[in-house]
Amino acid sequence: MNARPDHNPDQPPATDSPAYVRVRGVRTVLGGKTIFDGLDLDIPRGKITAVMGPSGTGKTTLLRHITGQLPVDAGEIRVDGRNLAELSRNQLFELRETIGYLFQNSALLTDFSVFENVAFPLRQHLRLPEEIVRNIVLTRLQAVGLRGAAELMPAELSGGMARRVALARAIVRDPGLMIYDEPFVGLDPIALNQVLKLIRTLNDTLGITSVLVAHEFAAVRRAADWVYLIAGGKVAAQGHPEELAERDSPWTRQFFGGEADGPVPFQYPARDYAADLGFQAGGA
Amino acid sequence: MSQARKQLAIGDALAQVGAAGLFLFSILAAIPGSLRHVRETLRQIWFVGAMSLVIIMTCGLFVGMVLSLQLYYTLAKFGGTAALGTVVALSLFRELGPVVTALLFAGRAGTSITAEIGLMRATDQLSAMEMMAVDPLAYVVAPRFIAGVVAMPLLACIFNALGILGAHAVGVSWLGLDNGTFWGNMTANVEVWSDLVNGVWKSAAFGAVVALIATFQGYTTPPTSEGVAYATTRTVVSSSITVLALDFVMTAFLM
Repeated sequence: MNARPDHNPDQPPATDSPAYVRVRGVRTVLGGKTIFDGLDLDIPRGKITAVMGPSGTGKTTLLRHITGQLPVDAGEIRVDGRNLAELSRNQLFELRETIGYLFQNSALLTDFSVFENVAFPLRQHLRLPEEIVRNIVLTRLQAVGLRGAAELMPAELSGGMARRVALARAIVRDPGLMIYDEPFVGLDPIALNQVLKLIRTLNDTLGITSVLVAHEFAAVRRAADWVYLIAGGKVAAQGHPEELAERDSPWTRQFFGGEADGPVPFQYPARDYAADLGFQAGGA
Repeated sequence: MSQARKQLAIGDALAQVGAAGLFLFSILAAIPGSLRHVRETLRQIWFVGAMSLVIIMTCGLFVGMVLSLQLYYTLAKFGGTAALGTVVALSLFRELGPVVTALLFAGRAGTSITAEIGLMRATDQLSAMEMMAVDPLAYVVAPRFIAGVVAMPLLACIFNALGILGAHAVGVSWLGLDNGTFWGNMTANVEVWSDLVNGVWKSAAFGAVVALIATFQGYTTPPTSEGVAYATTRTVVSSSITVLALDFVMTAFLM
């Protein structure tokens, strides 16, 4: 369990250097729906920051903004001090070389074996002797418990195994910023525990800054230093996971208590239920 | 169809053409970067070229045989069966070879390129490459485009060769035309540059068009199974129409 830092409960934990990611006044509209409306948040350097929130609230969209895959409609995002809106395509690619990204659906290259998937970023960007590539890949696969699966093809892996291979690929170049989009989905308890430990170890030993999008609060509680709860296009609550779980606000009560009633509607907007079923409103 | 819907459909079609044009510029800009991926380009040439050989050779043989049979029957009416080899060769080199090969290429290689890239889009593989700072245009699209331009002329030449062999089998071995007349008239009347090489230029252009349409449809497909299915169909339809239209334009200029 992480030691609770001495901090202002409404501010991310302080670090010696500026935030790795700064999001200011971000506004995003997708398909006519407002996803973010003045979103502000900081991802502190060297810490694990979890982003949580109801489904469809824009967590993955936020990750796509942070990695420059999707431009914002308004506002500013700075990653490692660089304003994404001002970067050329080449500069953006240079920045991405320092980012590891674990996709929700693993996104393994289906024509390549597990080994070649993990070796892919090394082969594309570095001219390393084959022996070194092999050693780096095998150490990463060992870390996720899949060294023995190196010669398998992605189609031969279960969902959880594919997720772990994707994690090995994401960390193969020791990124400065590691982004995990739903890393715990499909993992059995043993694998989940190991992945949790790995995320924590990467952070503690290498000082990697991590952003973690997840729904499993029990896992987030063990891994994260700070949690942002996003709802309604803004940060609805933030704090240390332990403190946030105990906080008595409508947002945290509903989200962590799993209640249908609260500020986040369970039902998708629809016309009157009785009218939809063919009953007269107010009739017998 | 109402007037408004017609205008909308025409607008959509023009927008697609414009987007495909811009996509072509993106591919051309990505080609220098793709030179780093020589192995991937060679793999694609193997995939779209060598793996298409069976269908190209089989169809070439039968097209040549049918052509020989039909032309022999027609030429016999004018007492001109001696020109069979020449007419078959000119038909194949100038027209049928490049066009039929392109249509077969669109059906065999174009559809697989679209489906492969479309599935890569649907399963986030292209996004994963972007996140690993690998340009999918340079790594995925440009090698397939180059492979189309390189493989199509080679396939058309093989189609032509098998077509001539098929025509020879029917005209000489079956219908009894003199072997020397068949080859002699052909070599005397077919020009290398104006007939053979023009056909090669045509097939390179058709290869570029089919590869462009196939990669564009795959790259821009909605990331759903239905989207990939429609994109694959659109590749065949659009490629076939564009190849035939371009054939007319190029023939008019190359005559």
